[in-house]
Amino acid sequence: MRQALPNLISVYPELLMAVGAMVLLLAGVIRKTPSIDRLSRLSVLLLLGTLLVLWLLFFRLEGRVVTFNGLFVMDAFGLFMKTLVLFGSIAAILISGPYLKEKQISNYEYPILIVLATLGMMMMISANDFMSLYLGLELQSLCLYVLAAINRDRQRSSEAGLKYFVLGALSSGLLLYGISLIYGFAGSTSFDALALAFADGAPTGVVVGIVFVVAGLAFKISAVPFHMWTPDVYEGAPTPVAAFFAAAPKVAAMALVLRVLFGSFPELDEVWRQIIVLLSVLSMTLGAFVAIVQTNIKRLMAYSSIGHIGYALIGVAAGTEMGVQGVLIYMAIYMTMTLGAFVCILNMRSRDGMSEQISDLAGLSERDPMMALALAILMFSLAGIPLLAGFFGKLYVFLAAVNAGLYTLAVFGVVTSVVAAYYYVRIVKIMYFDKPVVTFERPESKSLSMVLTITAAVNSPLSFILIGPLVQWAAVAAGALVP
Amino acid sequence: MYVTIVFLPLLGFLVAGLFGHRLGPRGAQIVTSGFLVIAALLAMIGFADVALGGHEYRIPVAQWVSSGELDFHWALRIDTLTVVMLVVVTVISALVHVYSIGYMSSDPHNPRFFAYLSLFTFAMLTLVTADNFLQLFFGWEGVGLSSYLLIGFWYERPSANAAAIKAFLVNRIGDFGFSLGILAIFLVFNSVDMQTVFDAVPDHAGSTFSFLGYQLHTLNTICILLFIGAMGKSAQLGLHTWLPDAMEGPTPVSALIHAATMVTAGVFLVVRCSPMFEYAPLALDLVIFIGAATAIVTASIALVQNDIKRVIAYSTCSQLGYMFFAAGVGAYGAAMFHLFTHAFFKALLFLGSGAVIHALADEQDMRRMGGLRKALPLSWSFMVIGTLALTGVFPFAGYFSKDTVIEVAWAAQSGLGEFAFVMGVAAALMTAFYSWRLIFMTFHGAPRAAAKVMARVHEAPKIMWLPLALLALGAFASGFLFSDLFVGDGRAAFWGSSISAHGDGVLEAAHHAPVFIKSLPLIMSIGGFLLAYQLYLRRPDLPGKLARTFEWAYRFLLNKWFFDELYDFLFVRPAFRLGHFLWRRGDEGVIDRFGPDGISKVVALLAARLRRLQTGYIYHYAFAMMIGLALILTYIVLQEGGL
Amino acid sequence: MIAALAFYMFAGLAIFAGLMVVVSRNPVHSVLFLILAFFNAAGLFVLLGAEFLAMILIIVYVGAVAVLFLFVVMMLDIDFSELRQGFQQYLPLGGLVGMIVLGELLLVLASGLGRPEMVRIPGSGAVRIAQDVENTAAMGQVLFTDYIYLFQAAGMILLVSMIGAIVLAHRTRPGVKKQIIADQVARTPAESIELIKVETGKGVKM
Repeated sequence: MRQALPNLISVYPELLMAVGAMVLLLAGVIRKTPSIDRLSRLSVLLLLGTLLVLWLLFFRLEGRVVTFNGLFVMDAFGLFMKTLVLFGSIAAILISGPYLKEKQISNYEYPILIVLATLGMMMMISANDFMSLYLGLELQSLCLYVLAAINRDRQRSSEAGLKYFVLGALSSGLLLYGISLIYGFAGSTSFDALALAFADGAPTGVVVGIVFVVAGLAFKISAVPFHMWTPDVYEGAPTPVAAFFAAAPKVAAMALVLRVLFGSFPELDEVWRQIIVLLSVLSMTLGAFVAIVQTNIKRLMAYSSIGHIGYALIGVAAGTEMGVQGVLIYMAIYMTMTLGAFVCILNMRSRDGMSEQISDLAGLSERDPMMALALAILMFSLAGIPLLAGFFGKLYVFLAAVNAGLYTLAVFGVVTSVVAAYYYVRIVKIMYFDKPVVTFERPESKSLSMVLTITAAVNSPLSFILIGPLVQWAAVAAGALVP
Repeated sequence: MYVTIVFLPLLGFLVAGLFGHRLGPRGAQIVTSGFLVIAALLAMIGFADVALGGHEYRIPVAQWVSSGELDFHWALRIDTLTVVMLVVVTVISALVHVYSIGYMSSDPHNPRFFAYLSLFTFAMLTLVTADNFLQLFFGWEGVGLSSYLLIGFWYERPSANAAAIKAFLVNRIGDFGFSLGILAIFLVFNSVDMQTVFDAVPDHAGSTFSFLGYQLHTLNTICILLFIGAMGKSAQLGLHTWLPDAMEGPTPVSALIHAATMVTAGVFLVVRCSPMFEYAPLALDLVIFIGAATAIVTASIALVQNDIKRVIAYSTCSQLGYMFFAAGVGAYGAAMFHLFTHAFFKALLFLGSGAVIHALADEQDMRRMGGLRKALPLSWSFMVIGTLALTGVFPFAGYFSKDTVIEVAWAAQSGLGEFAFVMGVAAALMTAFYSWRLIFMTFHGAPRAAAKVMARVHEAPKIMWLPLALLALGAFASGFLFSDLFVGDGRAAFWGSSISAHGDGVLEAAHHAPVFIKSLPLIMSIGGFLLAYQLYLRRPDLPGKLARTFEWAYRFLLNKWFFDELYDFLFVRPAFRLGHFLWRRGDEGVIDRFGPDGISKVVALLAARLRRLQTGYIYHYAFAMMIGLALILTYIVLQEGGL
Repeated sequence: MIAALAFYMFAGLAIFAGLMVVVSRNPVHSVLFLILAFFNAAGLFVLLGAEFLAMILIIVYVGAVAVLFLFVVMMLDIDFSELRQGFQQYLPLGGLVGMIVLGELLLVLASGLGRPEMVRIPGSGAVRIAQDVENTAAMGQVLFTDYIYLFQAAGMILLVSMIGAIVLAHRTRPGVKKQIIADQVARTPAESIELIKVETGKGVKM
């Protein structure tokens, strides 16, 4: 009537996922006894298909394509982040099988919820307007709330879901408040329009709006002081769900942070840099020190992820193309490290059920040398020891910070990473040098071993080979975001 | 050829590490040792080619990362400095490999040990052949990691564990300085390539940059940061505490890593960066001061230690101090010369002490040795050769290198040079004393070991003798053979452009030192010998009396100047406490702190009820978020100020 | 003039009702105040000329959501006053934080009012509607054309919330006897009757 159909080509991956998720849901409903295994496999296939479409599509697209009346954008940055998110989700589904069986969670909706959450994340990554940003975010968050509570017969899991939900609602409120402030001052929610409007300064109202928006987003990436939910939710939620939480949604939320700050307020960097620096410093400090005293490995990973987000934020604070590149590299490497570490946690199954105590890892090197080796590589990589992938992530964000003149922040990052190295190395020490207490019976699962092998391999010194292409790809992606 | 030298150990590591079980211990030993012997022979050919033939190479291995301003290549930088280190590393490593075949014969994890040894060697070779600072850093961390693995090799021992962790963490502090240094280099020079950086150094002489509002001298800052890294790796005063503890590792490891190679990486770094240090007077002063202080402090600690390996470990710290102050006064050639000779005689001492420990069924306490000369004549003679070299008796290697070092300190003619000279001479006396004390307590006097142990004392297997003999040869001959090249008249042609020639005048002046100065170290050495002879052979009751009379001094030295206790008090506990604080107070009870008294009780009560309703502490979390938001908002609004 | 008066009345009442939702002791009162707040919001919509939204707000929120709330509050016997015990303790700090944020926002508002014109962006993003189209029709036009993406996304969100509700709340209880007419009708003689030839003197084993 008023216009022809919008350009649908660039949303093919999202369309495929949405339709696919509904088909899977129907399949699950129609079958009398739907098998969660089969649906998981189909979901993985669906995600792989999406990945394929995404890449095929990208070869057809040229540069930046905006569609749906400016609500949706597809560019090299989106391709990078979406690829990461899809990999994270695929891995999360792959590693869930044995745990779900062990805990007798038989909701076939589980993989479908992950697929829908992934759809939400892809919409977040491609958001070019505060409205599409918010809807994508809510789609993703709703799925996550349900996933956290999916083991509904266990009090801890329900508690985790509820906590996440209530606090998530609060953060959404902050975000919406900020958006409405910005809209009130600008008369538009479109990122492109905002960038144009505030090209030379902005009224204080908009600055306050930015603070609220950043606070709402900081909750999603669990940056201090909006991190409080993280340890409880990681501990309470089923382990594969926690693994999923720590990987893909973090990447997607970080993509949002970058899109909002660089897409709509590129000229206000002096303003938001201060907030980001503050969040970064607090996150790094808390992540480094509080993790030292943890005994539960899932809580430890929660604090570790808080710390790592702090490092990634260093790159954001730099506010340059190099900084964005650093963040992208960091998030890619962070995702592999975290997923690998969580697979190891999933492997910590003794005769009395799943174990989550760090002390139970004692003597792992004798009982299960391969897993101990993999976990050691991952821990060293998390600590940022050179030769391993984690080092490169830190290197690039620190370099970006130094280039942007943020010496203090870079120095702070190096100091906290020295402190943080302590607890990672302690885990290695416990595995290799302590007397064994518990014998683990690793769940027989090819997909678990596969994910662990891949993540450990890419973090091992093999990363030397992979880092070159990754850096170049991240440079292209960063170039698409920061003109 | 140089690529082969670097990668042979890696190949050995991979073969022994991956197929160790299939090869069996014998196979792993042959493969790794064989590869290293080949590498050592190649390194000697390289030495002839580069150092004597005067060629220099830059061999690209791989293009690594290239994006924007960051352009890393993996390339080998082959100059005289590199080949000297190549020879030291490969030769000592090869000998240690061979020695370990005998020493570790009864250990069940043989292939793993040899794999680690080879890995270490590879990392060390990457370090010395580095063409840019990032590559250097990789080697640097690689040796740290593999030494961590090797120190903790006997993981059944809790002390080995603790030592491994300690070494790792103390080194992290050094690395922290080092990595900041590299960041600073990148910031200032926009490159991490060594040649580019060194070429650009003169342009930046005297420039400053601002940090936290302070104006800092660029090159001084960079060099001091790099030196902090060197201090960590080379166990200099302040960061030296890990080295003696690292003696928990197997003895061949101590010989390879903690005497000849890894700990000298710091000296190598300073010498390698000599073009930069030349323009950083403050950093050089710091190097002299720390070096000299280390030499004297650690030598004094060595006077009273009873563990045979710890004595040698402290002696190593002390000798590294010599190398540093030599580099600090600008005599880089002298520093490298001492590094070169020290590698031979210190490895000899370690491996010799290993033979003694091996013979006494893993006894390391000298108070339970004594009278072993008859039973272990070969070990005795090797140890004595090592000691003669260490204490600097003519014509052994130490005489040439150590004398040069002390003379250059004298010739520097500066306040700090004077300080280093005095400290060096005093430390030489102590060195002689504790070295001979070690010999006398171990080999002479009445046997103090249990009769059962003494009865079974035997010389080590033949395969352990070959390396010892070769090292003894080195300890004897490396001094007068190479003195001319390293520090003598041939030095300019020998070093070429690989080290800064800026401080050459000091070496020249040192050659014209008065006879008294030249003979002072030798006098000290003889004095130390006589003192030890008097105290430990003629009047064995005297040391005990002295210790009782000067109880406080004895305690002070025995407890290593209380460095560990100090660090525990200053850093370790506060870090733990801070973690607890942030967790308990900051994270779980942030609200309690703000509320009125008695609130904590209410919170506890409330918590119990709320938990029943499965809401947990959501109140708190939400509250913390709001407080955080309010603070950030206030800060930003105040910053904006446009109200 | 009347419009302005009405605006201040609705706005004031909405704020008052919102406050009462939080502070009233009886949860039923809270819900009733919530309904009052909704009504006032609907009034504001009417003032803006968005009568469709106003009606939707009343039908959906007042008619369905709030009533549902009321049912839940009345059915669950939760002692809210007990939950509220901490309220007094947190009031000083909470009040302080709230006042600070409020103060800052007011300051910001004041600075915004001082400007003659807010930043307006021409064209992109915002959708212009022709003057002669009434707002219900206009909403339909925009919703299914320019904002089709958002409309579909909202649809996905609703789907997820449905799935979530089912996953977390629905259970099939084993062993419950229920009449399933379809099963009864679908039953055939072949599967319910078995003919057995009984031999003499042997009997039948069931």
